[in-house]
Amino acid sequence: MFRIRIHGRGGQGIKTAGRILGTAFFRAGYEVQDAPVYGAERRGAPMFACVRAGREPIRERGLITRPDLVVIADDTLVGIPAAKVLLGIGKHTVVLIQSALEEANWRTRLGISNPILVLPGRALNQEAGEPLAGATCAGAAARLVGTIPRETLAQALREEVSSLGAEILERNLEHALAAFDAVTANAGIVVQTAGTAASDYIPPEWINLPFDPAQLSAPDIYAAATSVEVRTGLWRTMRPVIDYARCNHCAWICSTFCPDSAIALRADGAPEIDFDHCKGCLICVAVCPPHAISALPERAVPATQPAREGS
Amino acid sequence: MINVIHRMKDLPSTHLLGTGTPMCAGCGGLGGLHQIYDLLGTRTVFVNAAGCMTLLAAYPFTPFRGSWLYTAMASAPAGAQGVRDALDILLEQGRMPRDEDLTTVVITGDGSAYGMGLSATSAAIERGLDFIYFCYDNEGYGNTGQQSSSATPHAARTATSRSHAGRKKDLFAIWAAHQPAYAATVIAAEPLDLAKKIEKAKSLRGPRLILSLAPCPPGWDFDPADAITIGRLAVRSGIWPLKEYVDGRIVHTNRPHPRVPVEDYLKTQGRFRHLFEPRRDETLLAEIQARVDAYWASVDT
Repeated sequence: MFRIRIHGRGGQGIKTAGRILGTAFFRAGYEVQDAPVYGAERRGAPMFACVRAGREPIRERGLITRPDLVVIADDTLVGIPAAKVLLGIGKHTVVLIQSALEEANWRTRLGISNPILVLPGRALNQEAGEPLAGATCAGAAARLVGTIPRETLAQALREEVSSLGAEILERNLEHALAAFDAVTANAGIVVQTAGTAASDYIPPEWINLPFDPAQLSAPDIYAAATSVEVRTGLWRTMRPVIDYARCNHCAWICSTFCPDSAIALRADGAPEIDFDHCKGCLICVAVCPPHAISALPERAVPATQPAREGS
Repeated sequence: MINVIHRMKDLPSTHLLGTGTPMCAGCGGLGGLHQIYDLLGTRTVFVNAAGCMTLLAAYPFTPFRGSWLYTAMASAPAGAQGVRDALDILLEQGRMPRDEDLTTVVITGDGSAYGMGLSATSAAIERGLDFIYFCYDNEGYGNTGQQSSSATPHAARTATSRSHAGRKKDLFAIWAAHQPAYAATVIAAEPLDLAKKIEKAKSLRGPRLILSLAPCPPGWDFDPADAITIGRLAVRSGIWPLKEYVDGRIVHTNRPHPRVPVEDYLKTQGRFRHLFEPRRDETLLAEIQARVDAYWASVDT
């Protein structure tokens, strides 16, 4: 059985990637399971999709904890522990990462001896405003398993994406097939592993807690605004940058319209963006009357700027 | 105390709502709530019906500076009744000083407000419950992937409809028919209008509705950066009338003139793309425009 996990962010087309791959397997004669897993259904938040495919009926259920192939559609997830991109990888697990950085770089950063493949693709395609990362990853994954013909992939993609319109379908096809072709040298590198037996299951180490009265056991939060501990700045792919020479110090527009309270006013009345929490919606860029705020891809942020967490 | 808000510079410049919430980038619901919280202040208890904002205060994180209670989808007004009753008992028995009283605020999405929670809401208004009822209306069940709700507009694509056959329920009119203390429609894209209405709601007692249209980037399919632009177009096209019900009368607080064609609003959103591509659906576009025109004709007489 093939066990494949595709990691990305909400809005990058990862759910669709799982469906494309699942449908391609199905058309190639496999039994298939595919399911997306969201922490929260939020654009920008880390999520992943699981695909199982086998020639025999699949009796395994739930999340894939021992993947044969891990696809990382967005390399910024590597620095986020909660994204768990390397969860449960074994020696045989192939890691495919869509990134502008090279394989040697990732080998050092990930510290693993597994096969690592880098898909340079058009790594910035998401910044063009289209969720093409998913189709790209589905295309590459389909080639790496080695048993899905090119035309089957194209058919599966048409089935899953055609409802979005001919133009979007064409662009997705183009990206998926280009990725399929780009990894041809490694076709079949992903190996199937046997099904897991119930007897191999290791139960978690349960801790028995005594039953306490509600006053003790019901959770309470006594501090104010603890959500600041959650660094939603990690969601950002684009960064709003204020040109203070052009800022009118209007003292309310960007700060009022930022839905996340991430723009505060300094003592001198100038706005200041909290990059630990700014999610990169870019509303401030759209509403600033003198156009003093511009959008910069996170990857292009100069080293002198405050670093993005996790990178 | 009522703050007097006349102009933009009177709006709060420091923000009470904590950063780091799990709402989507560009969330129109959070855009409304963050402005409203600055005006309501920290002496508030929020009672949250199940919906997107259920995730606002996932233990141990909360963006609020006071209490927050989570209820099932249909029962937020009942939760608010319990909280209000408890506060009233504490006040009556002298166990809480009067100046420490709290305002009870329901937070609900449109799925609950227009549908499952309507019965409980109607009963709470009828009982004269002293509460503010804040609905962020993103016109669908956003938290589960934008299935149609009773607030979904005609012809919108949702996860459950290629072109929604139903018509948006008029929740404001339903509230007004109950003769509450106050009811108002607002939108984050018009902060001054919103602020004036919140100040008015604060000055009153009894059931008070704040119905906020919440442009939803993933649900409506648009770039998050456009959330405010789309909100402004909702007002300028007349499809989202800004109005209030007070002292038995309905007053429009913004009469867009001239109104921009409603298709200027529709074409900003992927959920209406099928009205324009592959070819324009002139019949449906004309029908939607005619309904907006008819509304304003009925108001302007």
